[in-house]
Amino acid sequence: MIAGAAVRAVSGIGSAFLGIALEVGSFGVLTARLARRLAPPDFDGTELRKNFYRMGVRSLPIVLATALFTGFIMTIQAGVVIGRYDAEGLIGWAAGFVTLREVGPILIALMFSGRVGANNTAELATMTVTEQVDGLRALAIDPLSYLVLPRVIAMVVLLFLLTVWGDLFALIGAAVMGEVMLGVSRHVFLRGLLDMLGLWDLATGLIKSAAFGLMIAIASCHFGLSVKGGAPGVGRAVNASVVAAAAGVFVVDYFLTYLLR
Amino acid sequence: MIQVHGVSKRFASLVLDDVHLSVPRGSLVGLVGPGASGKSVLVKAITGLVRPDAGRIVVDGQELTSLGELELQAARARFGMLFQQNALFDFMTVEGNVAFPLRRLTTLAEPEIRARARDRLARVGLAGFEDRMPAALSGGQKKRVGIARATITDAPIRLYDEPAAGLDPVTSQKIFDLLREEQRAAGATAIMISSDVDRLLSVVDRIVMMVRGRVVFDGPVDGARSSENAMVRQFLRGETEGPL
Amino acid sequence: MSAFATRVGRSAITAGLQAADVYRLFARTLYYVFRGRRSRGATLEQLYLIGNKSLFFMTTVMGFLGMITVFQAGLQLERVVPDTSQLGASFAELLVRNFAPDIGAMMLATRVGAGIAAEIGSMAVTEQLDALRMSAADPIDFLVVPRFLASLVMTAVLVIWGAAVAEGVGLLTGWSVFDIRPGTFFNLMMVDVGDVVVGLAKCFAYGAAIPLLSAHMGLRAYGGSEGVGSATTNAVVASSFAVIVLNAIISAAGFLVFPQ
Repeated sequence: MIAGAAVRAVSGIGSAFLGIALEVGSFGVLTARLARRLAPPDFDGTELRKNFYRMGVRSLPIVLATALFTGFIMTIQAGVVIGRYDAEGLIGWAAGFVTLREVGPILIALMFSGRVGANNTAELATMTVTEQVDGLRALAIDPLSYLVLPRVIAMVVLLFLLTVWGDLFALIGAAVMGEVMLGVSRHVFLRGLLDMLGLWDLATGLIKSAAFGLMIAIASCHFGLSVKGGAPGVGRAVNASVVAAAAGVFVVDYFLTYLLR
Repeated sequence: MIQVHGVSKRFASLVLDDVHLSVPRGSLVGLVGPGASGKSVLVKAITGLVRPDAGRIVVDGQELTSLGELELQAARARFGMLFQQNALFDFMTVEGNVAFPLRRLTTLAEPEIRARARDRLARVGLAGFEDRMPAALSGGQKKRVGIARATITDAPIRLYDEPAAGLDPVTSQKIFDLLREEQRAAGATAIMISSDVDRLLSVVDRIVMMVRGRVVFDGPVDGARSSENAMVRQFLRGETEGPL
Repeated sequence: MSAFATRVGRSAITAGLQAADVYRLFARTLYYVFRGRRSRGATLEQLYLIGNKSLFFMTTVMGFLGMITVFQAGLQLERVVPDTSQLGASFAELLVRNFAPDIGAMMLATRVGAGIAAEIGSMAVTEQLDALRMSAADPIDFLVVPRFLASLVMTAVLVIWGAAVAEGVGLLTGWSVFDIRPGTFFNLMMVDVGDVVVGLAKCFAYGAAIPLLSAHMGLRAYGGSEGVGSATTNAVVASSFAVIVLNAIISAAGFLVFPQ
């Protein structure tokens, strides 16, 4: 009885790992196939511009709102600790460091994954189940060059740019909250920020955001193209894509944090 | 008896435009019209699944349009509905689907419910399919499960939305005959939507035609065949030239 | 400029109408929690499904979060104050009050939220919701309430589990990379009533908001696979954003009620 349960648990974990290994392998294959189309560049420029515009318009408001709230939250949460040590001068450093290096890029990426990545999966999945992707192949158009690569490039570049703007909004939010809730003037905040943080803190966050963009784009396109089974299948594909993207963001973040000390 | 008085409904555009309709007790009325003419929405309005913006719907003397959601739930016990895409619950077995209305709407004991569900499945030719899941059925089998579920409560009002869509001619005819037989046996009042106009005309008592959210014809089957109305003539004959 | 103003105005109206819809959904969900007659075991089944589906995901993410946080904090501490004895205790406080509920709920918003919207949305576009209504089974009673109750319980359970995982992994990271004594991580001195209350309040707020918003998106889905896709997308965005906004509100309230 107990042995049976143990065997089931172990086999469950084993098959979960095999499943994940399979998905990670497919991400790798998709990335390699896309990379081959980059040299020499073989993708549809019109599609790239179209996706860039569409995805940007779709995600800019929610990303900026998220960033602003992230700034609020970071200041309040830092305030709990800072208040204890009477170290007002540190608030700019603490909120800025956490926002620029970790929380800003991560939360913006998660929001981007929900807004753009999930939507992209839904679109590709709908095109797949309604046989539009096969239709492209029948017209001798390579779906990877025409459909997928422009989307991947647009997502990577866009998340990078959105994080630049998001960082700015988050810091504004943090400074405003510091003045309103903690009574720390924005000059003190700004001094703490500028004196103790360097360009490298900003740069690590932005490098991470580009990597997150690639992670989200690959997961989103992979699950969109490998969908099976009508309308319920599309829902499941979107679900799988956002989950994989979210877990992937944290895994990638760990390795980059280690590499970009 | 179903009475529809001046019902209008707007989604993105006007889908029901001042619709008047009356279905006498015990009769079977066929509802036809080109695509997107508002047939399905009208049927859903009659069951209260869609709330009209204006107008009244009275079923067996009870006005449904003024009821709240909880009162509507009770009122729906007297409807049996067959959906266009069958709408079988994909998380339940075939028997679970057919038994569901009895479980929710009656106080029958569990063994009695199961016996009735099995009996009903046998009558639509699906004995032995009780424990299958809907996903494992063919289109015709799904339709028959849908019919079994729509008729199991012996509802006095029946609404059939495209009972034969996507089925071959032989299966279609069987399903039309089955529904007609069930409706006569129960003395039920029924509306049937179908694009298979010839087959529909062969079973119904009366025919109603809708175009762009309005009723353009309402009368006996023979009257429809000899109608002077250009839209009705064009639609029934399947001509490409005309007002449609 | 006026086109932009029109767009902003229109989005504001849509957002207001949607908020009213979600509020009505919340009210009816609460009504059915006490007066419903859904099948027995539906809530248990959802508890199992939500817990089982999210456990591995939650463990992975919170494990990595523990590593990242202790690693970053350790590096900074080595630079600013070379005393690492407080790191374990601060880390525990940060987890209870902020990281475990906030990041954990962001993860559940994607996993559980998208799942609920995909499931209910598929049923909406295949007319199964209408078929339920025809049998006097209100989808809110039959589908939303079990998911709502299960999410309320499971969010708290999974967040506590996630906090434990992050704490354990953080301890190992601190020990192996910075030579911090593992014992200092068991120092719960800094975790006070305020931290626990704020942490739990967050769990319940997130646990209620995620299923309601996702169910709302699923219930109003229409139009085939595209409809299901956009319902699922909207559910992820709405519940993630709700977590962020609720986080700001509850953190601010917690800061005012329990000043340090």
